[in-house]
Amino acid sequence: MNPVAAFFRPNAWRVFRRNLYAWQKYAWSSVAINIVEPFAYFLALGFGLGAYITFSGYGSLVQFMAPGFLGLTALNTATFDAAWGCYERRVTSGVYESMVTAPVDPMEIAAGEYLWEAFRSMLYGTLFLAVITGFGLVHSWWALCCPLVLALAGIVCAIPALLVSFVVKTQEHLFYYFSFVATPMVMISGVFFPLDKFPHWALVIAWLTPLYHAVNVFRALVMGTVGTGTLWELLWLFCAIIVLAFAPVVPVRTKLAT
Amino acid sequence: MCAYSPVVSARALTKRYGQTQAVRGIDFSIPAGECFGFLGVNGAGKTTTMKMIYCRIARTSGDLLVLGRDPARDAVAIKQRLGVVAQENDIDPELTVLENLLLYASFFGIGGAQARRRATELLDLLSLTGKERAQVKEISGGMKRRLVIARALVNDPEILVLDEPTTGLDPQARLLVWEKLGALREAGLTLLLTTHYMEEAARLCNRVAIIDEGRILALGTPFELIERFAAADVLELIDAADASALHEQLDGLVVRRERHGDTQYLFCRDSRELLRRLRDLGFDPPRHVARHATLEDVFLNLTGRELVE
Repeated sequence: MNPVAAFFRPNAWRVFRRNLYAWQKYAWSSVAINIVEPFAYFLALGFGLGAYITFSGYGSLVQFMAPGFLGLTALNTATFDAAWGCYERRVTSGVYESMVTAPVDPMEIAAGEYLWEAFRSMLYGTLFLAVITGFGLVHSWWALCCPLVLALAGIVCAIPALLVSFVVKTQEHLFYYFSFVATPMVMISGVFFPLDKFPHWALVIAWLTPLYHAVNVFRALVMGTVGTGTLWELLWLFCAIIVLAFAPVVPVRTKLAT
Repeated sequence: MCAYSPVVSARALTKRYGQTQAVRGIDFSIPAGECFGFLGVNGAGKTTTMKMIYCRIARTSGDLLVLGRDPARDAVAIKQRLGVVAQENDIDPELTVLENLLLYASFFGIGGAQARRRATELLDLLSLTGKERAQVKEISGGMKRRLVIARALVNDPEILVLDEPTTGLDPQARLLVWEKLGALREAGLTLLLTTHYMEEAARLCNRVAIIDEGRILALGTPFELIERFAAADVLELIDAADASALHEQLDGLVVRRERHGDTQYLFCRDSRELLRRLRDLGFDPPRHVARHATLEDVFLNLTGRELVE
């Protein structure tokens, strides 16, 4: 089955519902974990370190980081659950095994997981948006579009994490993905500081990562600097989802199809 | 499709994993309404055969038809009409009992009130009423197994495939599962199961295939198999002197002899009569067991090995 078409199949939403059933049981602790940690970082860096730093052309550190943290929240929530959660569901608890015994296509499982990560990213990101709105760091009604972009960012971050969860031999190997891919991606995506002073090659790498584009969109929405550039960023994210969706096809089919 | 066509049929079916030949060309055919069992030790090829039937793995060669369709081409259509109880309990540990059933029903396109009604019926059928809201991790192993069976029935399947349905259960939980499966068989459902408990095969199955090292060694009703490969009775002589010297004087009472470890197995028509004759001849074994022959003896005779670990 085409991995993009799988998004539109009812079974993808049934897989989504499976995760919703499970999540409902620990929703409050999950919300707390996904909000408190980024918020602690945000407060400490923004108001502690930020007291010493102002970026020319961008304002205070806390103002700069506020939209960046929307991207960071999307990345973290989607990556953690798609990597650890999907590994658990595939290997430890046999959830996927029982699904493919029923007439569920492996690509529908993958699509359901992406939709689920979109939801998580949207939920936690929107809660963070409410927090920064309270701090007076949101300057445009365009910010109301953030949830949709959070969903896109969640999907685009979930795809490589799910891919990794299908190829690692043990759960510990997931750390490689965090150390070698996810964390460096945060550092070069303009979450914490402007990239103007980066060498050209670093900017090229940044341009190739989805988080960079997501953060640019969040910043435009929050600051009210939406323009045609924002549309191109969105288009980049959209195309990335479609292209990336094909990457896990072989490992997912190898592990779950006949 | 004519009414006599089997619901599952295999001819020269094989499966190879890399260098390992798990199934080496087996033939069988299962008519609707039968309970058919594969009896064998771990690693005999039972699970591999089941996985080919429920479309989880592809066959290497040979023919296989399930409900008249080829799993290589029509897996989705076959899965829609099968109920599967896999060897590992793959009940979702993060969902409640009811959520497990409702979710699984949804994969077959059964939703809403219909799914709830079906779930309630099945929980009742498998004596799980009252456990709807229980977390899966809170219920016992026997209940989990019954829940997997309930889940497998959610789409009202035409065949129920069970891979070692009672392995790891305590005797009481096992009896309850047997009772439920017996009721399903009586209701006309085709059952296909694997087991390494000869009692399970003897109790539930109309026909049994003895499978070892990827081959079917014998296939028939439990009674036929015992008649053909054992005898009605067995006299086990434990730690006794070799009785084979007396063979001539027993007037053909012993139809077959086996020896494993300390035990001699004398297959006969009537074990009490044989014991009496042995004693008349002055042969008094220190310890003995006189019993009816079972599938265990069939397995022992066919493979030279014991079935239970």
